[in-house]
Amino acid sequence: MTTEELKNLKIDKVVDARGTACPGPLMATKKTIGEMKPGEIVEVLSSDPATKRDVPKWAVKKEYQYLGDILEDGFFRLYIKK
Amino acid sequence: MAKKMTIALYTGSFDKLTATGVIINGAVADDMDVEIFVLLMGAHAFKKENIGKTDHMAELADKKEEFIASLKQLKLPTWMEFFKTAKEMGNVHIHICGLAGKVWQGVEIEQFNELADDICGIGEYIASAQTADVNLFI
Repeated sequence: MTTEELKNLKIDKVVDARGTACPGPLMATKKTIGEMKPGEIVEVLSSDPATKRDVPKWAVKKEYQYLGDILEDGFFRLYIKK
Repeated sequence: MAKKMTIALYTGSFDKLTATGVIINGAVADDMDVEIFVLLMGAHAFKKENIGKTDHMAELADKKEEFIASLKQLKLPTWMEFFKTAKEMGNVHIHICGLAGKVWQGVEIEQFNELADDICGIGEYIASAQTADVNLFI
């Protein structure tokens, strides 16, 4: 997805894991996705660079749809569809 | 069927216990079952009276202050908090080795912290490790 498309997504849940180190963002994402319905989208905010590698790989392995990410000033926005 | 990780947790040092906490959280995120068998020095850290007192480092002991300051700056949970989260979010069982318990005068499960589920013998670890997908000695 393009950055513009990602910005226009309808977000169902936001996980703000900024300021936590690995594995904090991954655990917070797992917890939130567990409470979501199939088809819903979560936006994960993380300032931990490892998250950008970790979370997409985890999402694909769990058979969720990884939609992409946007680099902001000092953090990432990652988008996953359950 | 879920994949399984077994850990022979020998260490009673908070640096290695913290690393173990990170690993088991990762395993739980991947929906693995985790079985931890707490051996000799590890059982000391799990004794009730030692909650919050595990401050020995197995490696780079001379860098302890720097290490603790970094963990605080990173807002990293303590090793016990890591274990607690993993138990809340996944299928994690913690067994205290009967011999290890006796070494530290712990023969009843009530003498250990709330993370510990039961006391068992080494045979249980060996049997479980034989069917594990990942087995670690820490």
